[in-house]
Amino acid sequence: MDTFTQIVLSGLTLGAMYALSAIGLSLVWGSLNMLNMAHGALLTLGGYASFAAITQMGLPLFAGLLGAMAVGLLVGLAIYAAVVRFMLTDPAFETNIIVASFGLAIILENVILKLFGAYPFTQPFALKSGLYIGAVHMPYQNLFIIVGSAALMMATAWVITNTRMGRAIRATAQNREGAELMGVSVNLVFAQVLAIGGMLAAVSGVMLSSITTLAPTMGYDPMLKAFIIVVIAGLGNTMGALYAAFILALFEVSVQYMLGVRFGFPALLLLVIIALIWRPDGVFMKPKAQRQ
Amino acid sequence: MSRRDIVVGLALLAALLAVPALDPSRYIIGQLTLFFIWATIVTQWNLVLGVAGIFSLAQTALFAFGGYVTGMIGLYFGWPLWFALPVGGLAAVAFSLLIGVACLRLRGAYVALLTLAISQVMYLLIITDTECFYMDGVTCRNLTGGTRGLTKYGDFGFREILGAQWILGNYYLGAAILALATLASFIIIRSPLGMAFRALRDNQVYARSRGISRFKYQLLVFAVSAFFTGLAGGFYAGHFKVMGANTLYLSLSLFLLSMVIVGGVGRVWGPLAGAATLMIADEAFKEFVEYRNLGIGAVMVLFVMLLPKGIAGTIEDTLLPRFKRAPKGEGQETG
Amino acid sequence: MPDPLLALEDVSAGYQGNQVLKGLSLAVPEGALVTIIGPNGHGKSTLLRCVSGLVRTTRGTIRLRDTPLHRLKPNEIVAAGVVHIPQGDMLFPDMTVRDNLLMGAYLPAAFANGRQRLEEIFVLLPVLAERRRQIASTLSGGERRMLAIGRGLMSVGRILLIDEPSLGLAPIAIDQIYAAIAGLKRSGRTILLVEENATRVLDLADMVYLLDNGQMVWQGAPRDLASRQELLATYLGG
Repeated sequence: MDTFTQIVLSGLTLGAMYALSAIGLSLVWGSLNMLNMAHGALLTLGGYASFAAITQMGLPLFAGLLGAMAVGLLVGLAIYAAVVRFMLTDPAFETNIIVASFGLAIILENVILKLFGAYPFTQPFALKSGLYIGAVHMPYQNLFIIVGSAALMMATAWVITNTRMGRAIRATAQNREGAELMGVSVNLVFAQVLAIGGMLAAVSGVMLSSITTLAPTMGYDPMLKAFIIVVIAGLGNTMGALYAAFILALFEVSVQYMLGVRFGFPALLLLVIIALIWRPDGVFMKPKAQRQ
Repeated sequence: MSRRDIVVGLALLAALLAVPALDPSRYIIGQLTLFFIWATIVTQWNLVLGVAGIFSLAQTALFAFGGYVTGMIGLYFGWPLWFALPVGGLAAVAFSLLIGVACLRLRGAYVALLTLAISQVMYLLIITDTECFYMDGVTCRNLTGGTRGLTKYGDFGFREILGAQWILGNYYLGAAILALATLASFIIIRSPLGMAFRALRDNQVYARSRGISRFKYQLLVFAVSAFFTGLAGGFYAGHFKVMGANTLYLSLSLFLLSMVIVGGVGRVWGPLAGAATLMIADEAFKEFVEYRNLGIGAVMVLFVMLLPKGIAGTIEDTLLPRFKRAPKGEGQETG
Repeated sequence: MPDPLLALEDVSAGYQGNQVLKGLSLAVPEGALVTIIGPNGHGKSTLLRCVSGLVRTTRGTIRLRDTPLHRLKPNEIVAAGVVHIPQGDMLFPDMTVRDNLLMGAYLPAAFANGRQRLEEIFVLLPVLAERRRQIASTLSGGERRMLAIGRGLMSVGRILLIDEPSLGLAPIAIDQIYAAIAGLKRSGRTILLVEENATRVLDLADMVYLLDNGQMVWQGAPRDLASRQELLATYLGG
């Protein structure tokens, strides 16, 4: 029973972080058809921004989180303004943007390296102590990750569903020309989407580094997991990404407990491949959802 | 194959064969040999991406697979690497078929993400390999070599024949593999198979009505590319005498992908142009160690922004028609 | 003729070197329903797409009163008051009917009283009221067209561009669509309507243009067209 509780709690914590970063990726993909290889670097950047605010500048804990969000948002915007904007009309956008965003990832990673060095730091944004559920210790930080991510995701979902900006984002994703005919400036939407994606990545970077360590390359692995989640949910399907994040995190943690840590990711990938052979457009996509 | 391509190809080959006569430093020979390896992978990746239209990011996984199989056969079966090398190539073919059957029917971006994940899983399985497979004296060795890498499987034996000039043996072998790989990519791009792919891309309905099966052709090209990529892996293993998980770094994979794109996706001469450009850029930034990666990143971003068709694409579509009235249809391979 | 609301002069446009519009001119007076008829593939939709900025013109000017539309981006053209109800409807397939309609009132001028307009649209097109929570991709062809028109009406436009409203619809649905368009005309809206099947629209139109091979070949009042047997035979199938 305790093992079960442990698996569920670890799975939820992991799932919450995966979901947060997967939603950002999914939004960006859905609106721009852009595989953002800089997503991992944005995640890392968030972790370090919080470190800089709290440890180096001595600001209170939550200023770290807010600082990370602000940095993620601004860098997301900058990526749009400096690079993506000029490539949108390129017929090979989908391939070329992979290279461009990867180039940006290298640049961001090196800027971090220059500013902070390669030495791994501890993320200061971490709540102390915890509580017991049965015999299982549940650190408050993990609890915060679950609750905080859920709150942020719900806020994002609310914005996307109910606001004027959110409707424009969805409309652009579903029919770009149609949205233009409604007076939507797709450039504005793309900038907003990259800013939101950057912000979510930065927060998930703070949370992730709070239970591991800060290092300039820490973003790659979670980015890859987020990619897988986005694929299994169906690219651009934001709600599906949410479910997929939790299901896959629980699966990964279970495999790690039963077969050993090293088989978590391979088992995950195998599951995803089988799932996609079964449903090639993503498990959470309506089978005949047509994009225009 | 047009006359222009044959002339360019022969001139390049002659230049590469003549380089050792200039008595260059061992460093230059070493870098050129590395160029042969990367360029081989890049020519094949170009086929996969630009001709077959498969958005695969698993090319370095095929490369590493070929290299590891070659090394393991040398180490565990005691075969000379000359025999292990083609087996490595064939093993990469088998691996590619497996990946292909699992992924190729999916939509483009899904293929990209899954193949990327496959490479990453391979990497993780190797670096977390800590189980003892055999004892080497008192040290425990893993099946894959783990984080330390696979070693002690021998080399191509040029030391016995050429003595101190052994590296030239590797140089010519690498050049031969690249020449073969380039020839194969030429044949595929200019052959009926290449035409079939252009038909598939330009007009799906027509292609289907002619009974062209996209999946079957894609798998075929993927397998051919895997063979040469696997050979490059085996050659890498034999040249460096160590096969490590660093061949599976995401950074290497994307560095090579950048070569494909900077050169010009789907273009005959794109891969060589791209590989040369990025290796030279890498070399230039070596002087400024601090800014090396930063510079590479900036080069990648700027190239795709300023030359979205790549070097070869820009030359074929823009420069050549301007300088001499190229016959219509030339340089239109990618449509 | 008084100063027209929308004026195209000597407009040329095309796709990738393939010229579709070859220097045509057109004027739409305020409050009028002007229709363009002509065979398919001869540039009718391209003309509307030029006005709304989805296709760039290569020559000529497009003006909405004093605003030069040919220099603006699509979203700026919408803000200037051009509402385009496109061919193929271009709905947002995974959004509800209500959200699709609200997108019609995206621009600030319309958004302020978007809820009120929504209710007005529901009165005008009751079929949409019944289906307000339904996802757009699940609607029938006629309902989709209604939604596209309703979405267009949500915005505060000065001119409506309607592309082939009867295309692919059953006769009953066509009747409903044209009843709605007649209602719009009565309420004083300016409309530029493109149609291949001209028989329906001639009863409503104030002015007819015949477009053939990228050029205007005839213009005039519908009753004058009725007396031109050769044109009727060529363009309306007799």
